[in-house]
Amino acid sequence: MTKHKTKLIAAACAGAMLLAGCGKKDETLKLFSWSEYVPQAVIDKFTEETGIKVSVENYSSNEEMLAKLLAGGGAYDLIQPSEYAVQAMIKEDLLQELDQAKIPNLKNLAPEFRNMPFDPNNKFSVPWLAGFVGVVYNAEVVPGPVVGYKDVFTDEHAGRIVILDDARETVSWGLATAGIPINNVTDENLATITPLLKDWLGKVKVFDSDSPKTAMSNGDTDIGIVWSGEGALLFAENPKFQWVMPVEGVHMFVDNLAIPKTSQNKDKAEAFINFILRPEISKMISDEFPYYNPNLAARALLSPEQLNNPASYPPGFDVTSAQLFTDLGEQASKVDELITTLKAQ
Amino acid sequence: MAVTAAAAALAAGPSPQRRAGLGPWFAVTPMLGWLALFVIVPTLMLLVISFCERDGLGRIVYSFTFENYTRAFDWKWLKILGISVWYAFLTTAICLVLGYPVAYFIGRSSERVRGLLIMLVMIPFWTSFLIRTYAWISILSQDGLLNALLMTLKITSAPIGFMYTPFAVILGLVYNFLPFMILPIYTSVEKLDGSLIEAAYDLGARPARVFSKVVLPLTQPGMAAGILLVFVPAIAMFAITNLMGGGANPTIGEVIQNQFTKARNQPFGAALGVLLLAIFILSLWLSSKFRRSEQE
Amino acid sequence: MMDASLLPPGRRWWLPQGPAVQRAFFGGWTVAVFAFLYLPIALLVVYSFNDSKLNLYWTGFTTKWYGMLFGNEVLLRAFQNSLIVATATTALSVVIGTSAAWLLYRYRFPAQQTLGLLIFIPMVMPEVLMGVSLLVLFVSLGIPLGYTTLIIAHTTFCFPFVLVGVQARLQGIDPSLEEAAMDLGATPLKAFWLVIIPYLLPAIVAGALMSFTLSFDEYIVTIFTSGADSQTLPLKVYGMVRVGLNPQLNALSTMFIAATAVLVIASQVFTRKKTV
Repeated sequence: MTKHKTKLIAAACAGAMLLAGCGKKDETLKLFSWSEYVPQAVIDKFTEETGIKVSVENYSSNEEMLAKLLAGGGAYDLIQPSEYAVQAMIKEDLLQELDQAKIPNLKNLAPEFRNMPFDPNNKFSVPWLAGFVGVVYNAEVVPGPVVGYKDVFTDEHAGRIVILDDARETVSWGLATAGIPINNVTDENLATITPLLKDWLGKVKVFDSDSPKTAMSNGDTDIGIVWSGEGALLFAENPKFQWVMPVEGVHMFVDNLAIPKTSQNKDKAEAFINFILRPEISKMISDEFPYYNPNLAARALLSPEQLNNPASYPPGFDVTSAQLFTDLGEQASKVDELITTLKAQ
Repeated sequence: MAVTAAAAALAAGPSPQRRAGLGPWFAVTPMLGWLALFVIVPTLMLLVISFCERDGLGRIVYSFTFENYTRAFDWKWLKILGISVWYAFLTTAICLVLGYPVAYFIGRSSERVRGLLIMLVMIPFWTSFLIRTYAWISILSQDGLLNALLMTLKITSAPIGFMYTPFAVILGLVYNFLPFMILPIYTSVEKLDGSLIEAAYDLGARPARVFSKVVLPLTQPGMAAGILLVFVPAIAMFAITNLMGGGANPTIGEVIQNQFTKARNQPFGAALGVLLLAIFILSLWLSSKFRRSEQE
Repeated sequence: MMDASLLPPGRRWWLPQGPAVQRAFFGGWTVAVFAFLYLPIALLVVYSFNDSKLNLYWTGFTTKWYGMLFGNEVLLRAFQNSLIVATATTALSVVIGTSAAWLLYRYRFPAQQTLGLLIFIPMVMPEVLMGVSLLVLFVSLGIPLGYTTLIIAHTTFCFPFVLVGVQARLQGIDPSLEEAAMDLGATPLKAFWLVIIPYLLPAIVAGALMSFTLSFDEYIVTIFTSGADSQTLPLKVYGMVRVGLNPQLNALSTMFIAATAVLVIASQVFTRKKTV
């Protein structure tokens, strides 16, 4: 009787496995990431080692990712939200809790990145790369000293400035200059900084979030407020492009990996997360993107040039002092309208 | 005189329309079905969304509101719309002037050369839009080729800032839309009867007169098509204006795009889109009414 | 040589007049416009041999980007996808656009004017609106995102371009063309196929060229309606902007243009041989 039973169970299991195969269970890991933010070499190495195939789809903004995710367009296993998007998604219960036992390499992260305000103890997300927004200027043309936002928007620089095409960022610089906490985006505070922003935006020549370094390299602008990765690329190209962390207050952004609720491949996703936390893999990521690597073990492997790039690893900068964005919710619309209106003047 | 009359008759010939029988109805069903499913339904969805609200995450909340439309009828958005229309108008006009002679030349060329030339018009645009635009940026930028050339030829002594100006924007727009003006005009020119033009010359008319009285009226459908195919898409265009203009002058296309991304306000974006559609359909309807009354 | 007294007053008989001048003027204009069209392309080709990655200064001649391109599976796959989608879109757009233009012209349908206006909606509608609304439509219909949805989306905004071009060519068509064919015993369908289509061919070709170009380079609608296996070239390219456009793209574009140009010239050569 037991012999028959085991045979039946074995047959049932075999049948189930066959059915599972026939039912086209998705064996590939579906990665939904920022365009070009995950080096192909990293993906290839992961597939080589684990045999898990990875399919990649890209987006170019957090909101685009949210729009496609919420519309139900594709059950993704891994997404790459920025810190405020993680916060919003946790609040709306859109992420799966991570099984930290499956991600032992978390220990490689610097302690300040293990307990960030938007996701304490890495319950739902793991930092990928961090970065700052700061001032870059052409030291051959701009005499300096340049220490903060106010030194950017001077009359001498009118028409020679490039800034990020990001309404939230711009507003945060205005708030920082006015001494208001950057996450206090109320209507009154927006009204307070409007004259300041109006004056600033009138002097800007180029708004570019994708490749602000172009305007700097081409000589069309001399000074700007850009992502630290852009600043690092400029510095590596030519040390005449100096980087400054604004004295009014710096904020940091953190891009993370997270697993959406709709994912069916949680363990594979966790395997990938664990994989990229390895020092040599994380180093590969840093080689391509000179942002701030939260992985201490990886930082130990970086070259002196990479570590000495003032835009990637600002000397003497206390990371814990940097402010992070919180999710704006409906205020995002007001912020966008303000900046668009001021641009169109 | 006889020539112009003949030309006019050919240009304004009425279409011999018959009532649609079973066959034609069957044949037109695929297009109707396509239109219904992939054009009307999405448009209706947009209409619905434009009357909705949204939550903090940007998801749509199905509760009826007029606020998106009351917000849209504000001078700040209308000003941006006006700028977009103005850019589109300039682009269309310049494309028409630049493109017509090219279309005419190609259309009147020998058959062998014609096909080759018309393909050559389009081939540059089978490169990626971004690398083309970045090539222009490297030509027009301060340290770029144009300035280098001007300074070497001693025409200027200091570099001129061509990039991130309205000039750069119009240049980028004209560059990208030129083939869409040349191709439709070419199809009208190609069927021109050479003997008509020869006759005009034999009667002693100057080239300018031949052109204005014979050629232009006959190619009017092609010109109208070209104008439509440039002006209409140009209004909602924003990638070019953003890259070449440095983002300093937002266009209505960019505003709508922002609503769906950074501003997380899809209903407002939908409302703006519906308004844009309404403006279009209204002007198309008005122009067709105008054309009809002209013919009568 | 014309008798001077027959010339209109004021015309200078010693200057070349008429068609020759016209042709020279237009020819020169065309050359200038082509130079304008091909200037950035020439630059692009030159940069594909530039040693520097950032494409700003010439640092040396190299063919390494071409070599790297052949190993770049992701980019080549994206290019292939773009070709597939653009070709299918063009085929569909030509069929729908041409037949629709002819049917609207030839037959009187109820609500004809409304139909005419509806056709313009995809041209007017900003791409992000079309992308989002089609995404919602596909999801609610349960169609998985991939080649099919992408081709449908692209065709929807491409076919009006074919339609408008064909409509323009139909205006002023000689009505006796179709009548003659039918007098000789052809059915309306046969008349359409054997007589009207050849007449419309330049407009169809023009429409096809425009459709292909639009589809090949479409980014925004593609973002919302493509699946993981149908990532097209524009999606990859736009992503590259942040880290600097890879010269492999220049290499790819150069080869594509060169291949197309060779094909076109070769086909012209063969047609010439046929007429001999």
